[in-house]
Formats: sequence, structure tokens, C-alpha cells
Amino acid sequence: MTELDDLVGNDLEPGERARLERVHALLGRAGPPPELPHALERAPEPPSARVIPFPRRYRYTALAAAVVAACALFGVGYLAGGAGGSEPVRTVAMSGPNQATADLALFEKDAAGNWPMKLTVSGLPEGRYELWLTREGKLAEPCGAFAVVAGETTVPLNAPYSLKAFDGWVVVPANEKTPVLTT
Amino acid sequence: MDAAVAYRTDLPFVPRRASILAMSPDARTDVELLGLIAGGDRLAFEELYRRYARSVLGIALRRMGDRGRAEDATQDTFASIWRSASRYDPARGRPASWLYTVARNAIVDGLRRKPDPTVADAPDMAAGDPGPLEAVEAEWVSWRVHRAIETLPEHERSLVELAYWSGMSQSEIAEYLGLPLGTVKTRTRAALSRLAGELEDELG
Repeated sequence: MTELDDLVGNDLEPGERARLERVHALLGRAGPPPELPHALERAPEPPSARVIPFPRRYRYTALAAAVVAACALFGVGYLAGGAGGSEPVRTVAMSGPNQATADLALFEKDAAGNWPMKLTVSGLPEGRYELWLTREGKLAEPCGAFAVVAGETTVPLNAPYSLKAFDGWVVVPANEKTPVLTT
Repeated sequence: MDAAVAYRTDLPFVPRRASILAMSPDARTDVELLGLIAGGDRLAFEELYRRYARSVLGIALRRMGDRGRAEDATQDTFASIWRSASRYDPARGRPASWLYTVARNAIVDGLRRKPDPTVADAPDMAAGDPGPLEAVEAEWVSWRVHRAIETLPEHERSLVELAYWSGMSQSEIAEYLGLPLGTVKTRTRAALSRLAGELEDELG
């Protein structure tokens, strides 16, 4: 490595020289920072969920109602029958603005391919919300709706899908598109 | 170690400024940027990326030894920062430390997700190799120094990179930049002094 004197001259005050010597040594230890390749020249797109729009609003409403009904039926059956193991096979953490968080516990898949889940959310404002699976940043399949009043809310939900086909989960306010919680 | 060696074999190192994002006079602190990112501010996210992308890529290269996987880990790191900025608590530490932890977690996740198929077992450590503690220490120094370099004004950053990693002498740098030799030395001195201020914790 080049001597410090060669870089900055030899007319430094002793104190300043000692200070620059230490920086000089750190630069030698650190080595060169890598150049950013073309693919990293710009910040990546923040993970976001964009909606695949339904053609007509009533279809969306009907779908949401069907999902709620299916989840309610499943929840009743699940709680009553004690289906699935008592320990989750996987837990997914979600977070959002203003310290909002959620834990999504997935239990053992049943023979029909349903994944029983328990969603615990906190920090969300009062309202109705929906849990969605995402694929490539877009809302892909709904997993149920739930209401939040205050504090922590825990609800049973269900995902009747092959989870390998998706890459994330989000929570959105009911009938809205912007996620308030993401994985 | 392999990664560190891998990207040093490209010497002589001459910064390719076109591949580095333009320096902006953004005076906001990292804490302020993280607060804005927590609220979904895309511009703040881009500024934080400009400040830390090379540092993240640097430690990913050290750890992973593969440029493609290191680039993936860098992307994952910033995706994670976007998602979890709201969890940063200034009372629990400086942003550089928190970002370092996020980066390391993303790198470890990347290693778990795609283990190197050519390595069946952990390689034996040669007698001269640094131990784990020394490796972590070296990684932290590299992280802080590279981050500090990003705080320099453009003309000083170029000079530091040329002076330390191009293999050029000060006279050659002066000729390369079309500057008097005295100006090159004065600017290098100013840059090192500014780096000393940024790195005062490491300097003890």
C-alpha cells in the first residue's frame, strides 16, 4: 500500500498525522468497495402488492362473501373438530406501518389440501381486513376476511391452495388494494 | 476469503463512475430516512440504497463467494429494509448497525436457501486464515469504511478510490484527472480527514 506521506505530503501536524494514519490503515484493511453491476445500479422496486382487478365490483363482493362464508364454516368445523395438529408447521411474520404486526401460524395441511391457519394481528386500526396470498407482488388468492376492533385480534383462516405457487402474504383493508401488512 | 480475493483480482481498480449512482446533496440522516421509509417513502428508500448498496454487496461477496448470489442477497437486503424499517428503534442502536444486521440476516438466508452445491462440507481452514472473530471484525471494518466512503463528495471519493485501489501513483492520478499534483494531495488529505470524522468510533 502507498505510504501516507506519498498521498498527503509530510507537513502534517503530529496529531493530525496520527489521525490520518489510522484512517490509512483502515482503508488498507477494508479493501476496495465493489462496483455495482448494472442490475444493482438502481434501488430495487419495493415489494408491493398490486391488485389483479376483477371485471366488475359485484363479482369481487360476491367472491369476498363466499370466502368469508367458507372460512366461517371452516373455522367452526376446525374448532369443533380439532382438525390439524396443535402445533403450527410454519409461522409467517408480517409487519406494516405504525408498528402493526401479525403472526400467521399454518397448521398441518388436511387430506383435501386445506391449510388451517391462525392469524394474530395487532396495531391495525379498527376495520375489516382481508388476507391474501401474493405472486410476483400481486394479490393472487384470498384467504379470508376478518374484523379488528382494538388491540390484538386472533382469527382462524384457511388457505385451500398449494402454497408453493405463491411468494408472500399481505393484509389489505376490505375492498381496498393497498397492503397494510406484508411478509 | 475467496470472495474478497475474487473481486480484488480485477485490479488495477479505476472507479467507473457511470456505474455508481450520482451523489446527491441529501443531508438527511439515516435515522430520518428509515423513518420515512417506514411510511412508504420511495425517494428516501432510493437515497438509503445509494448510501449502502456497495457496502451490502461488499459483505455479501465476502460471505458468499459468488457474485450472482451476492447480488441476490443485496436485493433481498433492501427488500427486507423496505418491509421492516418501521421496526428500527433509534434507542437500540445506530442505523448502520441495524442495517448491517439486516444485511447479514439476508445473506445467511440466501446461503440457507441456495447452498453452494460444490461444497459438501465446511472447508478446512488454512492455518493462516483468520478465525471467525477476526473475520467478523474484518467484515465490520469493511462495512463501516465502505459506508464512510459513500459520504464523501464525489471528487474526494474518486480520489480515495484511485489512491488506494487503482495502483496508480499520485503523479499518475494527477495526470489522469488533469489536476496539479499539489491539488491531488490536498484533496486526498481533506478526504482522509473527513473519513476520520466519519470513522471516529473505529479510530478509538
